[in-house]
Amino acid sequence: MIGEISHFLSLSAVLLLSLILIFNFFFFFAKIHPNQLILSLRLFNQACWLVFISFGMYVYLAISDDFSIAYIASHSNSQLPIFYKIASIWSAHEGSMFLWIVFLTAWSVLFINSLDKKHPLKKLTLLMLSLIILGFLLFLLLTSNPFERILPFGAVEGADINPVLQDPALAIHPPMLYLGYVGFVIAFSFITAYLLNGDFDLQWEKEIKKWSFVAWIFLTIGITLGSWWAYYELGWGGYWFWDPVENVALMPWLAATAFMHSLFASSKSSVLKTWTMFLGILIFALSLFGAFIVRSGIIDSVHSFANDPERGLYLLGFSGFITLLALGIFAYRLPAINSSKLVVTGSKESFLSMNNILMVTSIFSIFLGVTYPLIIESISGEKVSIGPPYYNTIFAPLILIAAMFIMASIDALWQRSITIKALCMNITVPIILSLLCVYIVWKVTAIFSILPYIGIFSGLLILLSYFLRVINNLFNKKFINKGSGIAHIGLGLLFFAVSMNSILSYEKNLNLAPGQSISVNESVQEFFFKDIQVLEASNHDIISAEVSIFQDGRTIFLNPQKRKYTVRGQITSESAIHASVMKDTYLTIGDQLENGSWTFSLKINYFIKWIWFSATLMVLGMLLTIFKKTAP
Amino acid sequence: MNQSLRFLILLLPLIVLTFFAKVLLVNEDIKLPNFESKDFPLFQLNDLNGNPVQSRSLEGIKLINVWASWCITCLVEHPFLTNLSKQNIQIVGLNYKDSDSKANAWLQKHGNPYLFSIFDPRGDLAFDLGVTGAPESYLIINNKVVGHIQGEMNQIKWETIFLPLIQKAQQGS
Repeated sequence: MIGEISHFLSLSAVLLLSLILIFNFFFFFAKIHPNQLILSLRLFNQACWLVFISFGMYVYLAISDDFSIAYIASHSNSQLPIFYKIASIWSAHEGSMFLWIVFLTAWSVLFINSLDKKHPLKKLTLLMLSLIILGFLLFLLLTSNPFERILPFGAVEGADINPVLQDPALAIHPPMLYLGYVGFVIAFSFITAYLLNGDFDLQWEKEIKKWSFVAWIFLTIGITLGSWWAYYELGWGGYWFWDPVENVALMPWLAATAFMHSLFASSKSSVLKTWTMFLGILIFALSLFGAFIVRSGIIDSVHSFANDPERGLYLLGFSGFITLLALGIFAYRLPAINSSKLVVTGSKESFLSMNNILMVTSIFSIFLGVTYPLIIESISGEKVSIGPPYYNTIFAPLILIAAMFIMASIDALWQRSITIKALCMNITVPIILSLLCVYIVWKVTAIFSILPYIGIFSGLLILLSYFLRVINNLFNKKFINKGSGIAHIGLGLLFFAVSMNSILSYEKNLNLAPGQSISVNESVQEFFFKDIQVLEASNHDIISAEVSIFQDGRTIFLNPQKRKYTVRGQITSESAIHASVMKDTYLTIGDQLENGSWTFSLKINYFIKWIWFSATLMVLGMLLTIFKKTAP
Repeated sequence: MNQSLRFLILLLPLIVLTFFAKVLLVNEDIKLPNFESKDFPLFQLNDLNGNPVQSRSLEGIKLINVWASWCITCLVEHPFLTNLSKQNIQIVGLNYKDSDSKANAWLQKHGNPYLFSIFDPRGDLAFDLGVTGAPESYLIINNKVVGHIQGEMNQIKWETIFLPLIQKAQQGS
C-alpha cells in the first residue's frame, strides 16, 4: 500500500509540473499578472514536496524489507544492516535515478525560493527547472520504474546487494557525485532564463556564484571519494583508470572549474560574459551526457547499468532536447551579448581566458577518448580501447601550458596589462627553483621519462609560485587571495603527486608456498608468506593469507583476503594495504597454483596520500572563497 | 564569422546526438566462427504462462532466441523469425530481463513466433549461456549448444551460420 502511495505521489508531482508548464504556456503572450508567478511557485513547491515525501516513503519501504517491490527485492536483503538497506536504493539504476531526481528537485526548490520575489528571471528559471524535473520524473516512471511490484506474490527474500558495493563508501560516493552533477542545473536554468529574457543589463553572476561553488565542492568530493574507494576498498590497485565513466565525471568538473574562473573575470571586469554563459550551459549538458553514457549501457564500464536501449533513447532524446534548447537560445542571442569590451593582453582575465581555452580543449580530448572506440566500431566493426597513454600524452603538454598561465596570472591585474619586466621578475624564481627540484628528483630516482617530468615541473611551478606568494605575504604583507592560493597549491601538489606516483610506483608478481620467504629488492628485503587460513563469516567464506614484509628497516604484517559470497557466489578480493606518508604497500592475493603455491601481486605505490590531500586542499580553498566576505 | 559560429554551436551537438542515436539503434553484428559446442546449461525456470519448462522440451533441433520487450533490434528481426517459424523451424524464446506482463503484451501485439518462451527475469540462464544482450540466438541440437549469433538474426546469417550446422547434423544422424 505504501508503495502505491509513494508511486502515486511521484505521479502527482508529474501532474503538478505539467500543470505549471501548460498554465504558463497559455499565458505566455499575456501581460504577466503577479498571481501567475505566485501560483506557479506554489505548484512548484508542492510538486517538490511530493517528490521528497515519495522518496521518504521509498526509503521506508527499503528499511521495512518490502520485497514485493521488484527493485528492492533484487537489490536488498533482510539480513542487511539498515545502513545498507538504505544505501541499496542507489546501488542500481532505478533507485539511483530516483535519488538523482530528488537532488535535482532539492537544488531547484532551494534556489527558486532564495531568489528575490520580484526577480525578473524568477518565472523563466522556474519554468526551465520544472521542464527538466518533469522530463526526468517521466523518464523514471516510464522506463525505469522503481515502484514496480512483483505480482501476484512478492519475493520472500531479497537477492542481496552486490558485495562489491557492501562498503560504507557506497553511502556517500554516489550521493556526493549526484549532488555535484545536478547542482549545476541552477547555473544552466538561470543562464537560459537570462538569455531568453533578453534584458542584458541585468546582473546575473552574483545570484548563481555561490550555488555553483557549492556544487563544485560536491563534485570534487564525489570524484575524490570514488577514486579513494576504488583504491582502498575495491582493490583496483590504482586511483584513476581513465574509465569512460570516470571521464564523464571529469568533463563536467573541468567545465565547472573553467566556469568558476570565467565567472570571476566576468563579475570583476565584465569581460568573457559569453564564455561564462557558454560554460554554464556546458557543465549541465556534460552532466546529462554522463547520465546518458552510464545509464544507456552504450559503453562497457565497471559503472554501467544493464543495457537497455529504450532508456538510452529516452535519455538521449531528452538530454539532447534540453541541451539544444539552451544552446539554441544562446546562439540566437550571441550577437546581442557579445561584449564590445576587449580583453587586455597581459591582464589577469587574458591569462584566465587562455586557461579556459585549455580546459575546453581537455574536455574535448576526453570526449574524443570516450567516443572514439564507438566511432571506430561503427565504421569498421573493430573494437579498440583508449587507455592511459592517450590521456597522458594529451594532458602533459596542456598541463605545462596551463601551469605557465597560472603562474603568470598570480601577479597580473584585472583589466590592466602586466609589464614584461614585472612578469619576468615574477616567473624567473619559480622556474629556476622548479628546474632545480626536477634535477634533484632525477638525481635521486635515476629514472627519466619525459611525460611525468613535464607533470612534475608543471606541478612545482604552480606550487612554488604560490608558495613564494605566501612568503611574500608573510614578510611584505603583499595581498594574497587565501582561497585561490590554497586551491592552486592543491592543484600543483596534485600534478606533482600524480607524476611522482607514475615514475616511482612498481608492481611485482610473486609466487610462494606457505612457509616460504623471498627477497624482492633492496627496499622490500624479505617477503614471508607465513600461512593461509579458511574462515567463515556470516555471509561469505574467507581465504586469508598471513604475510610479513621486512621493508625499509621495519616489519609490517599484511592479511590480503579473498571472499566468496554465499548468496550470489561472487568472489571478491580484499587487498591489504600498509600506508605511510610517502608510499603504500599494497598486497593482493591471487589464485592457488597446481603445486600448492599462491600468487601474490605486490604493488608499491608512492605519493597516494598526497593525491587525496591535494583534493582536500582544493575543496578547502573553495570553502574559503565561499565564506570570504565579498569585497565591495 | 559570427553567423557560422552560431550555426556551429548547434551543429556539433546535433552530430553527436545523431551519432549516439545511430549506435543505440543499430546493434553490431559479431560473428563467432569457431564455436565450440557445449551442453545446454541446467535450469529451473517457468515459461511466460507460469508453467515450469521441462528440459525434454529442448530435444531435437531448436533455435533459442534471446529477446525482451525493451529490445528494439528484437522487433527488427521479429518478421524474419515469424517467417522461420512458418517454415517449421522450432524457435524457443528466452525472455531476458523483462517483466512477464510486458513480455506477454509484446507477443500479443507483434505476434508469437515461439513454441514457448522461457521466462528469465534475472538473466540466470542467460548468464550460464553466455548471453551479452538481446537479441542473441543459439542453435540447440539434442540439448547441445552448437551455434551462436549475436545481434539481429537475418536471412544471410541464417543461411551462412545456422543452416549448414543443421544440414551437417541431419546428415550425421
